[in-house]
Amino acid sequence: MPSPSHPSAGLIRQGWISLALWIAFGILIEGFRAFRSPPYLDDAVRREMFRLAHAHGTLLNLVLLGAAICAHLNLIRLGPMTSLGLRSAVVLLPAGFLFGGLWHFKDEPGLAILLVPAGAVLLLATAVYISLTLPRR
Amino acid sequence: MTRFPKPLLAWAITLLALGAVAAAIWAVAPGYATVRAGRADAGYLESGDCRKCHETNYTSWHATFHRTMTQEAGPETILGDFERENSITYQGVRAEMVRENGAHWMKFTGVDGKAQQLEIVRTVGSRRIQQYLTKTGDTWSRLPIAYDLVQRRWIHLNGSFFYPDGTSYTQHVAEWNVNCVFCHNVKAQPGLNWENRTWKTEVAELGIACGACHGPAGEHAQRALSPVTRYRWNLKEQIAPARLVTNPARLDSDRAAVVCGHCHGQRIPEPPQRIRPMMSVGDPYDPGKDLHEFYKPVQREDKVESSEGPHGEKVSFSFATRFWPDGSPRLTAYEYQGMKRSKCFTAGEPGNRITCISCHSMHGGDPRGQLTEKMKTNAACNQCHEQFAKPAQLVEHTKHSAESAGSLCYNCHMPKIVYGIMAAHRTHDITNPRPEDTVRFGKPNACNQCHLDWSANRAIAETRRLWPDAYKESNPGDQRFDEPEGQRSLFAGDAVMRALTAAAMTPATSATGPLLLEAMQDTYPIVRYFAANALAAQRPTLPKPDYLAPAMAREAVLQTWYPLWPAELRQAAREARERLTAQRSETDVEVGE
Repeated sequence: MPSPSHPSAGLIRQGWISLALWIAFGILIEGFRAFRSPPYLDDAVRREMFRLAHAHGTLLNLVLLGAAICAHLNLIRLGPMTSLGLRSAVVLLPAGFLFGGLWHFKDEPGLAILLVPAGAVLLLATAVYISLTLPRR
Repeated sequence: MTRFPKPLLAWAITLLALGAVAAAIWAVAPGYATVRAGRADAGYLESGDCRKCHETNYTSWHATFHRTMTQEAGPETILGDFERENSITYQGVRAEMVRENGAHWMKFTGVDGKAQQLEIVRTVGSRRIQQYLTKTGDTWSRLPIAYDLVQRRWIHLNGSFFYPDGTSYTQHVAEWNVNCVFCHNVKAQPGLNWENRTWKTEVAELGIACGACHGPAGEHAQRALSPVTRYRWNLKEQIAPARLVTNPARLDSDRAAVVCGHCHGQRIPEPPQRIRPMMSVGDPYDPGKDLHEFYKPVQREDKVESSEGPHGEKVSFSFATRFWPDGSPRLTAYEYQGMKRSKCFTAGEPGNRITCISCHSMHGGDPRGQLTEKMKTNAACNQCHEQFAKPAQLVEHTKHSAESAGSLCYNCHMPKIVYGIMAAHRTHDITNPRPEDTVRFGKPNACNQCHLDWSANRAIAETRRLWPDAYKESNPGDQRFDEPEGQRSLFAGDAVMRALTAAAMTPATSATGPLLLEAMQDTYPIVRYFAANALAAQRPTLPKPDYLAPAMAREAVLQTWYPLWPAELRQAAREARERLTAQRSETDVEVGE
């Protein structure tokens, strides 16, 4: 286990807490479907956005945990900026879908959807940077 | 060699990747701006294109009968029974509807034994009846047999229109290219070559789809490809780019009304010579434009002339029979004319008064009438007449108990005195009930639609008693109008009046039953249709008389109905029929649908 002061400890904490939240959100939307909740089922934009939020929230936090483990095992290098980029991206992407679906225009996600491309660019740049800085064997 | 800093390199690769993504998006971007450029339907998109952005509206439209007005024939679209009850014999001609080799056919065997089979290629309608089109060369024609979706049976179209028994079997075979095409599809282009009378008919989309109300949307869709533009529209920015599409809800009320009036207000070209480009090029109207630039909505006094007499001479066609003598429409597809006559319209401020979407919703509510549940109630009228929203004021106004049919605004101010597609419909000529109109114009009135056992003169007297100020100048008619109005209009009215009266008698009662049995002797099948329905609604367990069957076959079934009523009541009904029938004058009504 990394010590609480290890750079990857923050990522692991964020990863597990966020994973728990997004799993809970997944249960919530399953519940909406099971109990035929009109605000969810009758709203095609919200349904799609919530589904994307749940999918991105859970999968990206698994990525975050994977990155933290890799960093702990010295398989990758995670500097403070890279770490911040990764942590921000996994928040921005699902949050954009969540809030874009919560408050939205008639057939279009709400303005919060702008968080999604911002998070996606950040995630892409971080992934590229990590791949460029992989330790050479 | 200087090494490139890795953070910068990472961002450079990211930007490169984003550039590649942008290029891929651009490469597959659709182009809408010049769709069908140079054609009469330039810029008109198909509903599938609109769906990409307007899923909610697409879904609500998809549930409507507008969508299914005209469809290519196929197992998914044909609603008639081609398997079990798949034939009808009318006037000795047997029509059999069969599915063979993946196609649908109507096979006719005439009285002389000659057979003819025609392939069904398109369907028209999906709510009350479904009609079928065949194609010969470049012409689509309506076939004489249709499927009644309500009664689940095949009918001859003579059973749907106002023509008596014995009318030619092919009376209602009509060319689709010249007529139906205009209102049952988007942006019709008949493509008539006047020189050799050939057709090259096209439409922007079969059925009444997005373009029928929203017009050409190619430029709009092109602009909407940009998410920035879309969000500027969504945020209702004052300086956002123009949407370049018609939204009837954003038009002034009069301009919005003509969007519907284009089809729900039958019209003739204005000036009449416009018929030539209309038939050769296409319908000049686009939603958002002023309909009156191109057309004149038909009124009772209008006539059209054509050179289609047997010897090429001019023949005149009058629209008078489609209206009550006071000019109020009595057929559907004239709702626009009806609304424009009503005080709700004439007393309003031009551009800011009642319009179709004041009550109807094209993207919500019950597809049968396009009304939300709320708009089926007095809430529709209370939008303007809020003084009648409270029960006490309502009762004071109607003189009927608040929960009764007499306190539903529609029943008195929009009675069912209009015929269309085998049903009685509410007039859109919104007026005060005027029993005097029955005396003056031979037009049904709201009071006697319920009080069928009252005479028109009694209804006039009651209105004078209950609303003395409003009806002080209302005068009774002669002794003919002392007769119970249900009985009088069922036998002495013209075919439209008789049919509407039989519809008003649904379900039959102990009082109206004998009258309806007599109405089964009517020479107009459509009158018998409503009478048979009224009887069957009262006694669904008895065999229903077939309104299209020959007289002897009908009589055989009616024998089972006669014992339900005392002989003296039946005798009185028979005498009433014989006496009142002598008073009526018959006029066939060309129903333009």
